[in-house]
Amino acid sequence: MADRYSFSLTTFSPSGKLVQIEYALNAIKQGVTVIGIKSANGVVLATEKKASSNLLKTENTSKIELITPDIGMTYSGMGPDFRVLVDKARKLAHTNYKRIYNEYPPVKIMVQEIAKVMQESTQSGGIRPFGVSLLVGGYDAHSDRFQLYQVDPSGSYFPWKATAIGKTSVSAKTFLEKRWNENLELEDAIHVSLLALKESVDGELTGDNLDIVVVSDPQEHLLGFKGTSVEGPRFKKLSSEEINDRLDSL
Amino acid sequence: MSDPFSLNGGSAVAMVGKDCVAIASDLRLGNQSLGLSNNFEKIFQFGDKTFLGLTGLATDVITLSEVFRFKHNLYKLREERDIEPKTLANLVSSTLYEKRFGPYFVSPLVAGLDPKSNVPFICGFDSIGCIDFAKDFIVGGTASDQLYGLCESLYEPSLEPEDLFETISQVLLNAVDRDALSGWGAVVYIVTKDKIIRRVLKTRQD
Amino acid sequence: MDVILGLRVADATIIATSKAATRGITVLKSSDDKTRVLNPHNLIAYTGEAGDTVNFAEYIQANIQLYSMRENDIELSPKATASFIRNQLATSIRSRKPYQVNVLLGGYDVASNTPTLNWIDYLGTQVELPYAAHGYAAFYCTSLFDRHYKKGMTVDEGLELLKMSLKELEIRMPLDFKGYYVKIIDKDGVRDAGSL
Repeated sequence: MADRYSFSLTTFSPSGKLVQIEYALNAIKQGVTVIGIKSANGVVLATEKKASSNLLKTENTSKIELITPDIGMTYSGMGPDFRVLVDKARKLAHTNYKRIYNEYPPVKIMVQEIAKVMQESTQSGGIRPFGVSLLVGGYDAHSDRFQLYQVDPSGSYFPWKATAIGKTSVSAKTFLEKRWNENLELEDAIHVSLLALKESVDGELTGDNLDIVVVSDPQEHLLGFKGTSVEGPRFKKLSSEEINDRLDSL
Repeated sequence: MSDPFSLNGGSAVAMVGKDCVAIASDLRLGNQSLGLSNNFEKIFQFGDKTFLGLTGLATDVITLSEVFRFKHNLYKLREERDIEPKTLANLVSSTLYEKRFGPYFVSPLVAGLDPKSNVPFICGFDSIGCIDFAKDFIVGGTASDQLYGLCESLYEPSLEPEDLFETISQVLLNAVDRDALSGWGAVVYIVTKDKIIRRVLKTRQD
Repeated sequence: MDVILGLRVADATIIATSKAATRGITVLKSSDDKTRVLNPHNLIAYTGEAGDTVNFAEYIQANIQLYSMRENDIELSPKATASFIRNQLATSIRSRKPYQVNVLLGGYDVASNTPTLNWIDYLGTQVELPYAAHGYAAFYCTSLFDRHYKKGMTVDEGLELLKMSLKELEIRMPLDFKGYYVKIIDKDGVRDAGSL
């Protein structure tokens, strides 16, 4: 009888809660900490890239992904769910925006599209919510500002100046509250993100076990072609050397 | 004879001046040789400084003006800002190409100033959305041949708004006088960074 | 080859339609009314493909009446009605079998106290006009209207002008239209002004 109905896994409990979403949030709270910091001239996304064995190749695994040339996204929670959302987000950026207006979506619109996907998974039959919280950072050409958003499994989203999600998010946020101010430069933001990560990572921080992405100035050398009016991508992943340089001066 | 583009008649032209653009159209709507209306506008405004001219089959002119009003309203709600001329141009292009194998029989024009930088922008399209980016002028409608001729002889770059008004008006008026399907009144829009001037021209009614 | 004419005067819209229903060279009926009342202040007059015309007009009529039933007896304005009809025809023209119907919509807007006349063809072309006609009659009548129409004419003056046009049609056209029905739409609604 039960299989005749395709109820959403997230039906309301008698107390009015959607317990599946609470469980998802709990899963995220166990996840690896991710830091996002906005500054006047760029936004930083930083996280630990943990390897469970030294036999694992970590140099080509990536936890922060490019969605559009000016927008990056990372997560805390379930890795496979994140991959699905990355694929969907990249596709939506084109079908719902670039193929219509011939330009990439602003950060807010991209976030709304992703949030819509996540919300729909809390109201559809036979599927579970996404087990991730996202940090989406990017550049908005129309306001000439950088933006940072968090998106939760429920589909709710929040704009932040700086935030953290995952295992040590509470203490990391307290730390960021103390260290963030309006005059922060991009390099300061990278510095603060490393300090914040240091608290949550057991063991030494190295360029190999960290993933750091900045969205800041256009990177013409990453474009791959020349002679057009197309700007280079603002999304740039720091190499392990670049991370080590900054760790040295910590 | 039964070419949908010349069933109802009508023409439009857009030009770039110094820190300004102009777009103008006639006001005729007819059924083949029979004139029906001398008050059929073919230019539509989107936001403060962006205009869309639609010539061709009148039913499609009405349909598309409504389609783009709808899409523009949604755009404003989503983005909380006015649409840029080049974004509207790409929206027009993708909307027309969506009907690649059953097109709208129109030749649209876009003219406007960028909402922030006030840089002039004009362009035209074929009926399936191929964009013709032009630096100087763009024409459309049943008098397009005549409009090309007059633009080539009267247009000069970097005209001040009032001079641009004179040029575009003379171009339109003299072009439609040599086209039986265009004329019956005209309307001209001059778009500058701080104001829009709309003038309805008195023209011969034959 | 039906005749449908419309004329907007100061406080009313007048519609005239020929009474002959023909098929080829045969007159089938000489008392055919080519109009439908949509609501108290809207009248549609139609010409076109035989089966399509009545079917389309009655479909419009049903929908306009349905609107009033749903919306607590509010009448759909002439402007909205014209828009609705245009939309149906504009959708139909890109369908597998389009309606081949041309219409005139005579209306009186109760909210702004203005009479209106809308010309709509089978493609979905819609214009608000002071006077209009479909078919061959348009060629003869519009030129007469161009010459004699004046802003702010009374209903009687309008009827005079209409008679003039219908007389011209009798002289210039090779057919007997078996007379005309004349309808007036004003603040009091749609009324029959007899036949000419």
